[in-house]
Amino acid sequence: MKLTLRSWRWELILVVLIIFAAIWSSTLSPYFLDPVNLLNSSQFFVIFSLMAFGLFPIVVQGEIDISLASTLAVGSVMIGKLAVSGIPMVVGLPLTLLVCAALGAINGILVAVAGLPSLVVTLGTLGAYRGIAFIIAGDIGVTGIPEEYLTLGSARVGIVPVSVILVVVVAGLLTVLMAFTRFGRYSYSIGSNHRASRMAGVPVAATRIGAYALGGASAGFAGLIWVAQYQSARGDNADGTILFVVTAVVLAGVSIKGGTGHAPAVLLAIVLLGTLQTGMKLANVPGTSQTLVIGSLLIISIGVPRLVEIARDKIAALKPAQETTTIKHVEVETRV
Amino acid sequence: MFSHNRNGRRLLGGAAAALAAALLIAGCASTATTPTATTPDEGVAPADMIKIFMAPKFTGLAYFEVAKVGGVEAGEELGFDFQYIGSDQPDATTQISTLTNAIPQKPDALVVSAIDGDAIAPALKLAREAGIKVVTYDADSAVDARDLFINQLSYEFAASIMLDAALLNSPDGGLVGFISASPTAPNHTAHVKIMKELIDSDSKYSSLSYIDTVQFAGDDAQKSQDLALAMIQANPDLKVIISSSAVSAPSAQQAIVNAGLSGKVFATGFALPSSVKDFLKNGDSVAFALWDPAELGYVATVAAYQLATGMITAEEGQVIDAGKAGKYTVGKDGEVLYDKPLMFTADNIDNYDF
Repeated sequence: MKLTLRSWRWELILVVLIIFAAIWSSTLSPYFLDPVNLLNSSQFFVIFSLMAFGLFPIVVQGEIDISLASTLAVGSVMIGKLAVSGIPMVVGLPLTLLVCAALGAINGILVAVAGLPSLVVTLGTLGAYRGIAFIIAGDIGVTGIPEEYLTLGSARVGIVPVSVILVVVVAGLLTVLMAFTRFGRYSYSIGSNHRASRMAGVPVAATRIGAYALGGASAGFAGLIWVAQYQSARGDNADGTILFVVTAVVLAGVSIKGGTGHAPAVLLAIVLLGTLQTGMKLANVPGTSQTLVIGSLLIISIGVPRLVEIARDKIAALKPAQETTTIKHVEVETRV
Repeated sequence: MFSHNRNGRRLLGGAAAALAAALLIAGCASTATTPTATTPDEGVAPADMIKIFMAPKFTGLAYFEVAKVGGVEAGEELGFDFQYIGSDQPDATTQISTLTNAIPQKPDALVVSAIDGDAIAPALKLAREAGIKVVTYDADSAVDARDLFINQLSYEFAASIMLDAALLNSPDGGLVGFISASPTAPNHTAHVKIMKELIDSDSKYSSLSYIDTVQFAGDDAQKSQDLALAMIQANPDLKVIISSSAVSAPSAQQAIVNAGLSGKVFATGFALPSSVKDFLKNGDSVAFALWDPAELGYVATVAAYQLATGMITAEEGQVIDAGKAGKYTVGKDGEVLYDKPLMFTADNIDNYDF
C-alpha cells in the first residue's frame, strides 16, 4: 500500500497543481469556468496529447523522438490528399497510419540497429519528414476536405467533443499497454538498463523499433485530428509544437534518462499545461509572459523535488556517518 | 520501506513549495504586464462599450507592434476597448488557441493577421457564428471565414514596387535572387511568382534576370544572413537580393555589409525604415520599400469598429471612411485595398519613425 502511494505521488502532485492552476485561472478570467468554453479549449490539446502519448514509451526506453511533429505533417497532408482524391476513410486512415508507423520505424531502426544517438537521428528526420510533407502537399496545401474526414473534429456526445473522449480512451489503452503487457515491461527494463536487459533476453532492438513505430502511428493519427479540426492540411502543420509535447512528457515525471513514469501522468501534465494556457489566454496575458510561466513551472516542478532529494541525501550522509565508521571498523577487525 | 514513505512526504512538500513559487511568479508576471492593456479590468467594462481584439501572427515582431499602435490610436479616437492578444510563438496552433479563447470574451470584432489562413478558418467561423465581426489585415484567411480583408498592397503592385527598388539599387539590372519566409506564406509566394513574370515579360525590367530557386528563411534574421551569404558565394554575378520579408531584407543587407561587398551587391524589398536607416545613410543600399503598418492597423481597426457598430456590412462598393487615413472602397470578396506603398531612400528616410 505504501509502495503504491509512493510510486503514484507525482500524479498526486499533478492533480494538486491542476486544482491550484484552475483556481488561479478562474481568478484571472471570469470566462474560465464556463463548461462549453472549457470543452472547446480542451479540444485544442487533443493533438498534443496524442503526440505526447506516442512519445511516452520512447522516453521510457531512454530515447527521444523530436521528429514527431514532422511525422504529423506527413500524416495530415497524406490524409488531406487521399481525402480530396475521393478515397474513403476506411482505406485512407489505415494507409496513412501505416506510412507514419513506417517513418517511425525508420527512426527506430537507425537508433536500435545502427546504434545512432536518437537525438541526432530524429533531428535529421525532423527535417527530412517535414520535406516529405511539403513535397506531398505542394506549396499551397490541401483544402476542401470531404465531410467524412471531418467528423472527428466536430462530433460531440452531448457537449463533450468526441476527440476529447478519444484522448481519454487512448490514455487508458496506453496505461494498459505500459503496465500490463510484455512490451511495457520490456520498455521500462530497457530504459533502466538496456545492456542488462539484452543479457536477460529482452528483444531490445525489436522493442525499440516497436516504440518508434507506435510513436509514428500516433503522430499520424494526430494528423487526422488536425485535418478534422482545421479542415485543411499544409506542409508546415504542427511546426514548432514538439517542444510543448516534450514539456508535457517531462512534466509528467517521465525521466528523460528512461525507466520511469506512468502513462496517466502524461494526460495529467497536459491537463495542467492546458489549464494554465487557457487561463492565461482568456485573460489576454501577453505571449512572452505565458512562455515565462510555463517555462518556470517546468523548471520549478522538476527542480524543487530534486533539490529536496539532494538536501535529504546531504542530511542522510551526515547522520549515518557513525554507522559507516563502525562498519569499517568491523572490516578492519576481521582483516586483522 | 519506511524511509521511502518519508521521502514521498518530503517530495510532496517540495512540490507544494514549487507550486507556490510557480504561482507567485505567474502572479507577478500577469500583474506586471496587465497595465499594457488599454483597460485592465475588461470584465467590468460598460456593457455598451465596443470591444475589439487585434491578433497578429505572433507578438514581438516589430512590424506587428507598429501596426498595434494604429489600433490603439483608433480605440482612443473612437472610444472603444482595444486589446492586443496573442502568443509569441510563430505557429498556427497557438494562434488558433488564441482565437478560440477570444470567443468567450465576446469581443465585438477581431482584427487578425493569419499564420495559416485555412487552419484558423474554423476558429474564425466559430467567432462569426457567435456574432463577432472578423477583419483580416496583412495576411488573409479563407474568404468565407472573415468579413473584410484589408490588403496592404495588391500582389501585383508589391511585385513591381520591389523590382523598382531593385532597379534603383542596380540601374543596369543584373542577376536577382529571392528570399521568402516560407513556401506556405501566400503573399510571399505570389510576390515572387509575379516578379518572375514581370522580369520575363515587362520591357521595363528586361535588364534583370533571376535565380529560379527561391530560398526560405522563415522570418529569421540569422537564417536570412546565412542564406544571403550562401547566395552571394554561389552566384558571383549576383547584383540584388529581394525579399518581401521585413526581417530578411535588412538581414540580407547586413550580410552584404559584413562580407565587405557593399556597392557590389544590394539587398532590397520590404523593411521597416528603422531597420534600414543606417544602410541607406551609408549608401550600402539605395532603396527599400514598405507601407505604413501603423496606418494599416488603424484602417483595419476602424473597419472592424464600423462593422461592429453596423455602419457598414462589408458589401461590395461600400466605403470605409477612416478619417485622416483616407477613404477605402470594399471590393470583390470583401477585399479592401490599402495600396499606399512607401519607397525609402537616403533623402526621405528621416521622415519615418517606425
